[in-house]
Amino acid sequence: MEATIEVNDLRKAYGSTVALDGMTFTVAPGRVTAFVGPNGAGKSTTMRVVLGLDRVDAGTALVGGRPYRSLRTPLRHVGALLDASALHPARSGRDHLLWQAHSQGLRGQRVDEVLKLTGLADVGRRRAGGYSLGMRQRLGVAGALLGDPPVLMLDEPFNGLDPEGIRWMRGFLRALAAEGRAVLVSSHLMSELQDTAGHLVVVGRGKVVADTSVADLIAAASSDRVTLRTVARTEAMTALARVGATVAVTERDTLTVDGLPADRVVTVLSEAGVPFSEIAAHRATLEEAYMELTKDAVEFRATEVAR
Amino acid sequence: MTAALYAEWTKLRTVAGPFWLVALAAVLTTALSAAAAGAVTCAGAGCGVDAPMVALTGVQLGQAVVAVLAVMVVGDEYRTGMIRTTLAATPSRAVLLGAKSVVVAGATLAAAVPGVLGAWLAGRLIMPGRGFTAAHGYAPLSLTDGGTLRAFAGAALYLTLVALLSLGIAAAVRDAPTGVGVVLGVLYLAPILVAVVSDPDWERRLRQIMPSDAGSAILHTIDLPALPIGPWPGLGVLALWSAGALLLGGLLLRLRDA
Repeated sequence: MEATIEVNDLRKAYGSTVALDGMTFTVAPGRVTAFVGPNGAGKSTTMRVVLGLDRVDAGTALVGGRPYRSLRTPLRHVGALLDASALHPARSGRDHLLWQAHSQGLRGQRVDEVLKLTGLADVGRRRAGGYSLGMRQRLGVAGALLGDPPVLMLDEPFNGLDPEGIRWMRGFLRALAAEGRAVLVSSHLMSELQDTAGHLVVVGRGKVVADTSVADLIAAASSDRVTLRTVARTEAMTALARVGATVAVTERDTLTVDGLPADRVVTVLSEAGVPFSEIAAHRATLEEAYMELTKDAVEFRATEVAR
Repeated sequence: MTAALYAEWTKLRTVAGPFWLVALAAVLTTALSAAAAGAVTCAGAGCGVDAPMVALTGVQLGQAVVAVLAVMVVGDEYRTGMIRTTLAATPSRAVLLGAKSVVVAGATLAAAVPGVLGAWLAGRLIMPGRGFTAAHGYAPLSLTDGGTLRAFAGAALYLTLVALLSLGIAAAVRDAPTGVGVVLGVLYLAPILVAVVSDPDWERRLRQIMPSDAGSAILHTIDLPALPIGPWPGLGVLALWSAGALLLGGLLLRLRDA
């Protein structure tokens, strides 16, 4: 089976509230795709639609080229974690995985494997109701891995994890993608997916705002921002403003220049005879790049409302 | 279907609740039956008491417990949100509800068979001391007697059908307290409401179609022609209700967002 998730023009409205407004994207194998956007942007709804849990008014969602409801042993095709707390509190973690294994024709041996894989081997026989949120997330991931599926889909897996857990989860997701799986991970905090996601699908109000590789995005967000150290602050600001750059004072003798690449800044300052001691092209973090990207969407929204 | 069935069985046996409900249903069915057997008397020949039916009084209580058991099988999943994990594992709603039906029927029979056998034993042991003797025209309750066997085996089937009716209703309402309320309303309130219908023809007609009234015709062994509906047709009416509830539950499960 091809390890992909293809979501095509999903539309869904709850009464007059539009939840999905033409959601379209593809998750490719071999990398972690971050599915980000503010709460209420349609991330969870999209995931529920992919799993055949929610119906849509229009559009299709395919896993490995097939609709989810047509899969006979779906957990062998897609592993999903939607809500880590969706378990019976009186059932042990191991038994929670056991019934899922049995539903796919898998044995208890596989349950013990995934418990070990997620670091839950010692607590598997305890009541799941007593698990911390972090342990439940691990249990949910264990459930997603039960069928050794080529496609994984995790909704907010970082929720409730401590720093150690976050580190573990990042490494785990990277490893799963490196094995050639398609991994879709939703989050409303971009920083959680730093150094993890290779691709980014940003959504807002039920549709895709940006669909880009993380490397391209960071490059784009980084290219036109330069940090400059100079004693001639005023002269530098005047010279740079004249060629259309936006200049902000960060410290007493440090400026941040937006809208002009580093080499152009050097040329402009040299031609104007402004002295400077240090110049650095700023490399944006994923979080900054994401903010940059969604800023436009937010502004667009504001003008739309004003109109 | 086999895998879904195995999964549902694993779910049922890995929490304590269903086990205790099965035990409670069996014990209450036997206990109330024994109490009823000890409370009734036959003063002389032709006292006209339906002895097997008296010995099956506990079914009226046992049905509430099996109804709760059946509602919980679905209601617990909606309460915890686990239903989404379940539907992700078994996307076919028909297969899922089918698997749940088999497991619920099995669990109910595991309660009903010992409960009903206990009721029979209690009736057989207690009732002769209450005047149900050969002199008054009563042989000890015997399962080799056609009518008695029909009533006792029918009681187990009746409980199973009540459980399936409850399962269907629970799947339709998706909430355990509401489900229990609706089921108990159908089982206990409907007969009371029918009883206040003043027109005897209408009352009879309603008793022919209400699930608990029609279904409990199977518990009768004497004066059958006087009943609004015969034993097996009555149980058939209950079976139609159960099938209808499961169809409705299954359809809603298919159409609604989980």
